[in-house]
Parts: sequence; structure tokens; C-alpha cells
Amino acid sequence: MSLERPDEHDHDAWMERKELSPIEEVYLTVLIWLDRRLRLVDYLELLEDMYYKTNLQMPKSHTEQYDLDNKFWYWYPLYALGSFSTIAYVVASISGALLGFYYAPSTQAVGGETLRSVAYSNVLFIMGDLNFGLFLRSLHRWSAQVMTAAVFLHMLRVYFTGAYKEPRELNWIIGIVLISLTMVFGYTGYLLPWSQLSYWAGQIGVEMALSIPLIGDWVAQLIFGGFTLGEATLQRMYILHVFVLPFVVTGLIAVHIGIVWMQGIAEPH
Amino acid sequence: MTYEYFERSRREDEDLRQASDYVERDVLAFPTWPHEMIRNLALTSFFLGLMFFISAAVPPHIPGPANANSTPAVILPDWYLYWSFGLLKLPPLNPELTLLGGEKLVSDRVFGVVANLVVVGVIATVPFLNKGSARRPVEEPFWAAIGVGGVVFAFTIAVLSVKNLVAETFPLGPHELFDLTFFLPLVSVFLAYAVLKTMREGYMFELNRRYYRLRPPK
Repeated sequence: MSLERPDEHDHDAWMERKELSPIEEVYLTVLIWLDRRLRLVDYLELLEDMYYKTNLQMPKSHTEQYDLDNKFWYWYPLYALGSFSTIAYVVASISGALLGFYYAPSTQAVGGETLRSVAYSNVLFIMGDLNFGLFLRSLHRWSAQVMTAAVFLHMLRVYFTGAYKEPRELNWIIGIVLISLTMVFGYTGYLLPWSQLSYWAGQIGVEMALSIPLIGDWVAQLIFGGFTLGEATLQRMYILHVFVLPFVVTGLIAVHIGIVWMQGIAEPH
Repeated sequence: MTYEYFERSRREDEDLRQASDYVERDVLAFPTWPHEMIRNLALTSFFLGLMFFISAAVPPHIPGPANANSTPAVILPDWYLYWSFGLLKLPPLNPELTLLGGEKLVSDRVFGVVANLVVVGVIATVPFLNKGSARRPVEEPFWAAIGVGGVVFAFTIAVLSVKNLVAETFPLGPHELFDLTFFLPLVSVFLAYAVLKTMREGYMFELNRRYYRLRPPK
């Protein structure tokens, strides 16, 4: 007998000890060969996992375990607000992508003596002539409104249930960045039809930017493309709305939800 | 036989896992998947239907084309920016320092923009100011009252931002409206605090009663 410990994972030696029939031997050899390469055991584990997940009762939640349902049922709808804003965001991005096919960010006048810019008349076309265009724009607008409202209420829920506490401070701050970006999303979108309200909301924006001490001029140049509104402003708002913000916000939402997934949802204790 | 092999194989994995320094931890929280997701599924379907219904029923209106030469009577951003727009109308609060001979330290416009940053900054620091494991509003009447005050202030400052419209509808002078903007949140802070303090008594009573029912004094 050697002093060396037997190799636990020496499957060949294990097979030799077992006195197998030829068929068994072939079967096991193939199985081991495949498992060595494809790690079948992991998939078996996955299958088993699914089996138990569908057949066993789910573990009790904190609320069920401590019988808090009678106390906290009224919080539950408020716990769905984060999901609601995400869903509204998805609806807004799909309808927005469809609207993008029919919109061009240009303040060029459309011939004649009309004040109508290309952007404005595109919106009129979407609302008036395009099949389902009115519904599409309506859906885009409403989902944006709903998203903003849900995000505000979500923040209130998080505040009043103390869900921003200890391990979740970082997510609270990411949430504040997200709510700000949501409002920037709304603002840039508000400017796109280049209607009378868009124009004057843009005017306020330029003046706000110019009011920032020291870097005001630079900020106005960067975001609004100048000190007066025009083609450059609309194009910058368009690129912010359809290119920059979607990537940034989608990424941040993914991180935000990922952290919630990792840390679990904070219930009031 | 297959299972016997897989048992061995799995033990191999198990050994490797134990040898590694990767730690699996239990998290004391409500699982997102599947609990929360399944609960949300029903709400989601309802919510999607609601959004489609509203957008079909209430299509948007579009105002006239942009005209740099005619300023509309009422200029407003979308409703969710009213609070920020209202903060721009705070210059009357900008302190005039006697040391500087009644001059203002920062111009009114800068003051309005800074007010926005201050509000966002204060909200961002909340988790670092309010610590501890208390979660329910009754447990922390102070912070809940601050929250209520914040919500009411967000509303009143939004109303202040549309003061032109308010003046048409209600018999309120600009000064009264301005004072109310700050007075109402204060009132609601005190009210919320008083209510929650009172509720706290009952809440503690309930907790104690449950405690003594479970563990009766000997």
C-alpha cells in the first residue's frame, strides 16, 4: 500500500474497480469522454434545478415568514413602480424608434411664407397622414409622461420605506442620476417638434445654461450649439435624444436593476 | 450508473469549489426573481393595456410652429420640470448682504440655477445622513416628516412656477402665493410629525402587546 492518497477523480481506475460489462464500459467511456469535453453534468444540474423549481414550493419571503402581510399589503402596488417606469421606457423606445423613420431634425422652412420647419411638418405628417401615426406619437408621448411619473413615485416609495439605507446608497445615487437624465430625455424630446412651446422652452434652457457662472457660455455652446436657437440646437437635441441618452440611460438602468437583483428588494422591516 | 458517475463528477466540482476562495453569501432580502417578477407580471399586463388605452383615447395636441418673433403669453416646460422652473423664480430670497452695501453676492439668475443643484445635492446625501435599520415611517417620524415636506414643497414650487395661471383662477396675490409656497410645506412637516408621533404610541403598544402575548411575563 502506498502512502500517496488515491486520486479521487481518477475515473479510469474507478471503472476498472467496478467490473463492468462491455456495454456498460462503452457507455461509461463515451459518457466520460463527452462530459470531459462538454461538462454535461452542469446541464444535468440545470435540469434538476428546473425540476425542483417547478415542483417545489417557493421559499417563503420575508413578509410571509414573519407574517407581515396584514401590515404591509398596502405597500405592494408601490413596489411595482420601478418596473412600471422600465416598461414605459421600453414602450417609449420602441415607439420612438418607429417615429424616427418619419422625422428629420431640420429647422429649414418648408417653402412658401409658412413658418413651418421641416421638423414641424414631419410631425404634422405623422399626426395627420401616416397610418397609425397619431397613435404612435400619442403612445410615445404618453409612455414618456408615465415613465416620468412612475420614476417620481418610485423615488418617493424608496424614500418612505427607507429602501435607500445601508447597502443601497450607491443605487440611490444612480437613481438620482437616472431621474435627472429622464427629465433631460423629456426636455430634449419636448423640443423636437419645433413648435412654439418647444422654441420658448428651448429659450429658457439657453438662458439657464448661460446663467451658470464661469462655464455658462461653454455649456450653452456645447448643449444648445450657440446662444440663439436654430438648426444647430435642434440637431443637438435630436442627437442627445436618440443617440446619447438612450445608450447612457439604458446602461444605467441595467446597472440599477442589476444592483437590485444582487442586493434583493428592501422590504420595510 | 450515470448517476453514480455524475455523483463523482459533481463531488469533483464541489471539491474544486471548496478549494477556491469564491464565497456564496445569503442575502437578507426579498428575491427579485421569481417572486417580484411574477407578482409584477399581472400588474405589467394591466399597465401596458392602460397606456395603450390612454394614448388611443387622449391623443396629443400640437401648438403652432416655432416663431421667434411672437412670445406666447404662457411659456412652460412639461409638468415634470415645473419644480425646477419654480426654483428659477426664487430670486426674491437671494440675500442682499449689508456688508457689500446691499449688493447681491450672486446674480439672481445664478441663484435660481444654484437652487436646482442644491435640491438635487440634498436628496443625494440623504442615505449618508439618515442611518440605522429603521424602515417604516412610524419608526422615524422626523425623516418621514421631512419627506412629506419635500413632496409638498415640490408641489407648491410647481404651483409657484405657473403663478400666471394661478393668479387668473384664484384670488391670490403674488406675495401670498410666494409665502404659501414655503408656509404650506412647513405646516405639513409639523402635521406629519405630529400624526406619526401619535401613531408611534399605538405602534409601540401593538409591538409590546404582541411581544408579551408571545412571551408572557412570569
